[in-house]
Amino acid sequence: MRTRIKSGALTAVFMRSFLVQGSWNYHTMLGSGFAFAMLPGLRSLYQDDEDKLEEPLERHSEHFNAHPYLTGIALGASLRLEADGAGAETVRSFKTAVRGPLGSLGDSLVWATWLPGISVLALAIYWLGLPGSWSALVFLLVFNAGHLGLRIWGFRVGYSEGRDVGRKLKVVDLSGLTARLRRVAVLFLGLLVGVLLGAEGGLASAGLLWGLLSVAGFAVGLLAGHYAWRPAATTLVVSIVLLTTWGLLR
Amino acid sequence: MSIVLFRVDERLLHGQVVIGWGNQLRPDRYLVVDEKLTVSGWEQDLYRLGAAGTEVQFVTPRVAREKLDFWRLDATRSILLTKEISAMGCLAEGGLLAGEKVNLGGIHHGPGRAEFLTYLHLTEDDISELEKLEAEGVEVTARDLPDTHRVNMKTLLKGKWKYS
Repeated sequence: MRTRIKSGALTAVFMRSFLVQGSWNYHTMLGSGFAFAMLPGLRSLYQDDEDKLEEPLERHSEHFNAHPYLTGIALGASLRLEADGAGAETVRSFKTAVRGPLGSLGDSLVWATWLPGISVLALAIYWLGLPGSWSALVFLLVFNAGHLGLRIWGFRVGYSEGRDVGRKLKVVDLSGLTARLRRVAVLFLGLLVGVLLGAEGGLASAGLLWGLLSVAGFAVGLLAGHYAWRPAATTLVVSIVLLTTWGLLR
Repeated sequence: MSIVLFRVDERLLHGQVVIGWGNQLRPDRYLVVDEKLTVSGWEQDLYRLGAAGTEVQFVTPRVAREKLDFWRLDATRSILLTKEISAMGCLAEGGLLAGEKVNLGGIHHGPGRAEFLTYLHLTEDDISELEKLEAEGVEVTARDLPDTHRVNMKTLLKGKWKYS
């Protein structure tokens, strides 16, 4: 049995997927946000029959977690499963199996690669001497082009593949894409370091002592940073606070 | 000792396991002991995506009981995972896991489950399964990540008991 979901309802589900973290909590995490996003699709399927709606809505309010940008894959695929009349157990098993990979793929692709990579690009543009507004604009445009593209692609691929979306994701190889993007991000980092060293007001004009200190700090971070990210992060935050206070008092 | 971790986690292969424990223990393979998953190709595809390229084997508890000694002697380092405490219990029956440590990872909120730790919600059946595990000579502790506090069974069961 395959029922069509109105295209307007599909668009509504996609738009609601932006709000999926809106009621995040420790018990169900994305659960109620997921159900909220599914609602227009379920309404279209069950023709607003409130009695039939109750059960699937409850099912989709259960515990769920994934990367917000990739949650569209799960939403699309769950809509496909509901439209195909898959049983409650299949829907549950699907959502249980998909949340882990969607979380870890999204974390490494977006939080650990795309966001820092584009931030570093924007910083490099600033240190090249272009106005700050350009740097902010480039960041917002490039970051969100990837962000929105990923969301749209994910929702579509989920809806077309249904529960077999795993096979498709394997072919697309998101972790391979992450590895390639990471190389580009490292290139941007090199660019940033270059302009930071050479630019006016950069390290070149900081003087020998500060130059040596920063090189030593960089080396310590490179060698030991991953053993002690918490002390490192604390030191970073404390020094930013101290420097800001010092700057304000001066 | 080549099964480097026995863990119960309903999410099986996910960030905490693959990155949190995986980076620490460097497994060559994940052994997922689950009756239903062995016959579900599409679910296996999904779980494999989360393993970041490390080999994943899906076996039934019965096969796992037969292979346990082989895995222990094998040079390949494995992390053994089950979704439910009962599956680990099935593995431990007859003292097969005596002297081993079993780690409780994530079991989330659901109907009939009470919160013992933020990441651990147990039913009454789960608790009797845990007691059975201890009776089989298994040391059960709860710990979500390698760098968090380890909670032993006694402390765990003294925790909050509220249905919600």
